[in-house]
Amino acid sequence: MNRMDQLKSEYKNIEIPEELDFIVDKAIKEVKTELEGESKAKGEKELEKEAGNEIGRKRKMKLRKKLLAAAAIAVIFIGSINASSTVANAMEKIPVVGELVKVLTFREFTFNEDTFNANIKVPVIDGLENIDLQNTINQKYYEENKALYEEFMKDIEKLKEAGGGHLGVDSGYIIKTDNDQILSIGRYVVNTVGSSSTTMQYDTIDKKNEILVTLPSLFINESYQERISENIKEQMLKEMSNDSDKVYWVKEGDIEPFVSIKLNQDFYINDIGQLVISFDKYVVAPGYMGVVEFVIPTEVIEDLLVSSEYIR
Amino acid sequence: MEKNERFKFVEGHILANKEAFYKTAYSYVKNKENALDILHDSIYKALKSVDTLQNKEYVKTWFYRILVNTAIDFLRKNKKLTVMEDEILEFHAEAVEDHYTDLDLEKALDLLPPPYRTIIVLKYFEDLTLTEIAHTLDENLSTIKTRLYSALKKLRVEMEMKEEHYE
Repeated sequence: MNRMDQLKSEYKNIEIPEELDFIVDKAIKEVKTELEGESKAKGEKELEKEAGNEIGRKRKMKLRKKLLAAAAIAVIFIGSINASSTVANAMEKIPVVGELVKVLTFREFTFNEDTFNANIKVPVIDGLENIDLQNTINQKYYEENKALYEEFMKDIEKLKEAGGGHLGVDSGYIIKTDNDQILSIGRYVVNTVGSSSTTMQYDTIDKKNEILVTLPSLFINESYQERISENIKEQMLKEMSNDSDKVYWVKEGDIEPFVSIKLNQDFYINDIGQLVISFDKYVVAPGYMGVVEFVIPTEVIEDLLVSSEYIR
Repeated sequence: MEKNERFKFVEGHILANKEAFYKTAYSYVKNKENALDILHDSIYKALKSVDTLQNKEYVKTWFYRILVNTAIDFLRKNKKLTVMEDEILEFHAEAVEDHYTDLDLEKALDLLPPPYRTIIVLKYFEDLTLTEIAHTLDENLSTIKTRLYSALKKLRVEMEMKEEHYE
């Protein structure tokens, strides 16, 4: 196998790109952040009890540090925005049907330096009479975007230390539905480093009753979780058999086949009153499939709905 | 194994072997960006599913399985793109020849269907045993042996055809 040996040495000499470490760290960090998010949802307190006092203390220390950092970043964040010429576009109005309740671009932040690009749009909801709800949502949007900016600046520093590279973050929002009753806003974050990852989060607001619609609140009990999951599996298999370019991780033997949606899975309600379930990139399909959505036929879940007010 | 311990273990395995994994990914797509993309997807996928790793001893084949499947998924999606890249490669073939000591074999290897190519890469480049390869690809040992022999046979055929063509 002399020729094979030659080929092997070619293989061994494949050049290792300088971005490798960064990509590997980034992938690891992404999973860690997600797992942290999941355990946070379990309830911080419960975790502290589980882990014992020692870790509880560390956690508090960490939190304190985080708060300090957040305060420092807030100054930079606001400072940078105001120094940027794009502030001229801030408060740019997005046309909406319901004149009272609307979504505005509160702040737009762009950062361009050689190979580092960021474009972050912070949405803000305006016109709700329920001020508490409005403030809660807007505060959330602001905090999240601030954190995103903080993360981006940290990544740039790390990358510069590692000898440079490309880094981009693009965040903004899409109004999925805006009719007399429903306002569904999707906020996306696209991170680009050689590969890109996309996350999508939705908020659905009942404009008439001024409440935030959650997935569990739509149904009489938790059996929707299984019902919707089964329907999504059927849709995945059908799509794959119709189009060989489509791949979902759903079959037995896949590394981590899709089993079930989460109770608070990301969703929105489309303009004709159908429930749409959304999955982030990489969650149920290979990266090239991007963010995937499934429209759940209303007849599938009809008998489990609290009312036909939102979903028809 | 606790989940945390398992996560740390897999993370350690990835960090210790990242260069080998990158090369494996590269051998499928032949360019930096796509290889990084595949590696990123694989690491993400692996760490998200550390629960499926039953036994620490299997971490090597377990991760290769994820990596190979991700790479093949990618190739399946980008079939047309690969064809185009080959054309470009051919166009520049003479210039490239200096760098590839054995372009014919290299190209012959590229022409192998992905499952066969995987066996060659894992066996001859990554030094996995046939048993490990069988475990990675979730096939029995005799299937792997059969495929290895037909892959080698196919490689020889491709190479012969090339030689005739050039002479």
